[in-house]
Amino acid sequence: MSYDSRTLMRPSRGLPLAIRVALYTIVLGLFLSGAPRVSYAQAPSELPKSWNDSVARLADEVAAAMSPTVVKLDVENISSLDVSSAGAIEAAVRVQLQRHSFSFAAEDSAAAQSVARLQLSLSESAAEYVWVVQIINDRSDGAVAPVMIVAAPKADFADAAAGARTLSLEKRFVCKQAERFLDFALWKDATSGELTLLVLGTNRLTTYKPAGSQWQLSRTSPIPQAAPPSRDPQGTINLAEGKITVRGFACVGDPDLGEGVRCSASKPIRSLDGPRIVIPGFPNSLGTDVKGSCRGDFVFLFTAEGDRTQSDSIRGRLTKGIPLPLVPSGNTLEFDGPVMALHPDPADGSARAVVHNLKTGEYEAYIVTATCGN
Amino acid sequence: MLRRLAVISALLGVAFAALPARSARRPRYGGTLRVEMGASVASLDPAGAGSSPEEVAALAQIGPLVFEHWGAVDTPVGAAGSGAFRVTSWEAGKRAVLAANEEFREGRPFVDSIEIVMGRAAHERLVDLELSKTDLTEIAPQDARRAAEQGVRVSASQPDELLALVFVEHDAPRISGSIASGNAAGRAGGRASGRPLAPAKEEVMGQALSLAIDRVAIVNFILQKTGEPAGGLLPQWSSGTAFLFPAAAPSAADLEHAKELSKEIAAAGPLVLGYDSADPLEQSVAERIVVNAKEVGMAVRAQAIAGAGAGNSRGGALQAGHLDVELVRWRMTSPLPGEALRDFFSQIYAGPLAGVGPGAFPEAPSPEDIYKQQRTVLSTYRVVPLVWLPQVYGLSARVRDWKAPGPGENWPLADVWLDAETATGVQ
Repeated sequence: MSYDSRTLMRPSRGLPLAIRVALYTIVLGLFLSGAPRVSYAQAPSELPKSWNDSVARLADEVAAAMSPTVVKLDVENISSLDVSSAGAIEAAVRVQLQRHSFSFAAEDSAAAQSVARLQLSLSESAAEYVWVVQIINDRSDGAVAPVMIVAAPKADFADAAAGARTLSLEKRFVCKQAERFLDFALWKDATSGELTLLVLGTNRLTTYKPAGSQWQLSRTSPIPQAAPPSRDPQGTINLAEGKITVRGFACVGDPDLGEGVRCSASKPIRSLDGPRIVIPGFPNSLGTDVKGSCRGDFVFLFTAEGDRTQSDSIRGRLTKGIPLPLVPSGNTLEFDGPVMALHPDPADGSARAVVHNLKTGEYEAYIVTATCGN
Repeated sequence: MLRRLAVISALLGVAFAALPARSARRPRYGGTLRVEMGASVASLDPAGAGSSPEEVAALAQIGPLVFEHWGAVDTPVGAAGSGAFRVTSWEAGKRAVLAANEEFREGRPFVDSIEIVMGRAAHERLVDLELSKTDLTEIAPQDARRAAEQGVRVSASQPDELLALVFVEHDAPRISGSIASGNAAGRAGGRASGRPLAPAKEEVMGQALSLAIDRVAIVNFILQKTGEPAGGLLPQWSSGTAFLFPAAAPSAADLEHAKELSKEIAAAGPLVLGYDSADPLEQSVAERIVVNAKEVGMAVRAQAIAGAGAGNSRGGALQAGHLDVELVRWRMTSPLPGEALRDFFSQIYAGPLAGVGPGAFPEAPSPEDIYKQQRTVLSTYRVVPLVWLPQVYGLSARVRDWKAPGPGENWPLADVWLDAETATGVQ
């Protein structure tokens, strides 16, 4: 799936952006709704079960160490927990202690000066949260205060580390030619291992074979053009399905894409054409999703929001799905001209970009790869 | 005037235009990373390497660059050259040149080569850093602040090395820490007078010392604030419970208690405190401890042990019966508290405390288990934690993507790249 939402000089192909985004987000939403999500900035009753279990265990240990009485609970957060999470844990500890028949002295009351003191410390180790209750006594005999310690899992500790991960984009030049082309594909024969380059032009599919450091023309297969021809022809090569789609026609390999194509007219979906809209947080540019994920997020690539007279760039964006926006991540790839087409590639984290180099006037093919790293 | 304004505006424009490009700079390939080490590594073969802990530690940094994996027991896995770099030149104990392995399965390193100069003294390494003659070297924690003040880029890890007092075990084998290099030779320690201390006396001495030593002053003045006072056997970032082992400066009550304790052991004669004569930090700390002990009426005599930390020399001194307590440096091998504490037991405290050693340690200890194990050891006062030290590195201006390795990690030299546009002069 790819997107084209440039409003000025880049007409869309396929479904209008609004409909495609709506369909996509619905699918993402349905998918993600099945995945458990934990936010620890929650009310006490909404603490994750593992945290509630830890709080209950801590209260049990306090109850085992001292008889129920009026206590004063002091809380210190020396961990990376945010204020709201710490507050939720404190509230949960109070609830659990009350279940063990402890009661709490009012903060400013005279009684608070004389009651037993519990010191709750919210700490953390290299692997987990560590919650500690010390029963503070004022004895001067140097005795160590009784200590109760429980562990609680960190908020997806691995994910937290992954949170620092960002996308890193790299581009690999594949080929260039003076004539405009719509898409390209690198295809490796499974049996012979021979590499083939397919270049989809506006009216033909050209097959190249490697010859030293160059690509050598191997075969040309004509592709019929719709009448009247489009001023903005677009087409894609789908290697996985072994077919080519251009406006008005769908072509399949005969017997495979490297050997020739058979094309038949396809009816364009006109009923979904509609006014173009701009969605806040959604780049108003050419974009595509890519296979794979980064820190559990979906990965998208988007061009800059210029027109076809300007140089262009590609940058990665991440989203968990609904709600948008997509968050920019990692570096930006610069190009000497507009990205004319951006297609998802079957390889993980890759997309195919066709760039019109404004300096040379040639059209260039690039494989753009997004990797997730620290 | 207008012309001047125009020139300034143009310069500002160029500067601001350059900023985004610099911040977004991607790693670059090429260049030679120059590394200096204090230790001299004779061979990449652990079996052929010398036994000094410095050499072992240095080998544990070079080895993983050359071998695909470096085993948990400091042994290579795979053939030499299967790592990120290949050895192209090796002058035993002096100099090594490693070239990037183009075929490395995790991707070719960014730098073309690494030139490692070995056997450079600490002050020579610092000078070379300041003169931009090297790109990466270790700096002693106590020198970190001065180096930073002189413009050296300083990179420090989390504090992961414990400096502690450990009472010498009498009549029982004990493996000392990094200083003793795993030499398990028996050590019959003893009093200066030749009479070994009774365990109860040792405990009183240890408690008195623990109360009297001003750990905060050691951090502030000797370490120049590069480190943390240590009350437990694990740092707070690892265990989450170090705050339960206070390490604040001694209070008046602490000092009074220490004086009372010292009176109980006054007849035992002076305590002999051993330290590595080649380690200026240990010497400074030992001298400080002597002063702190004297303030509470304890007689402690610091004794340098020659041999630059070599276990045999120290072992010899111990066997001669001259030491009661020694300064020991122990570096964590894992960030996980259970694994780190288990290593502590095996390296530092194997044997002397029945029921405390690794045998009694749960396979998957909880934070409470870890706390209790520490409490049990510390309550004997046979180990008195003093300070936590970070690993400190000096970097040249052109080194990029360096991250100080944590416990159990190696130097990330395959990830490091050199910024060719950065001036190599002093920053």
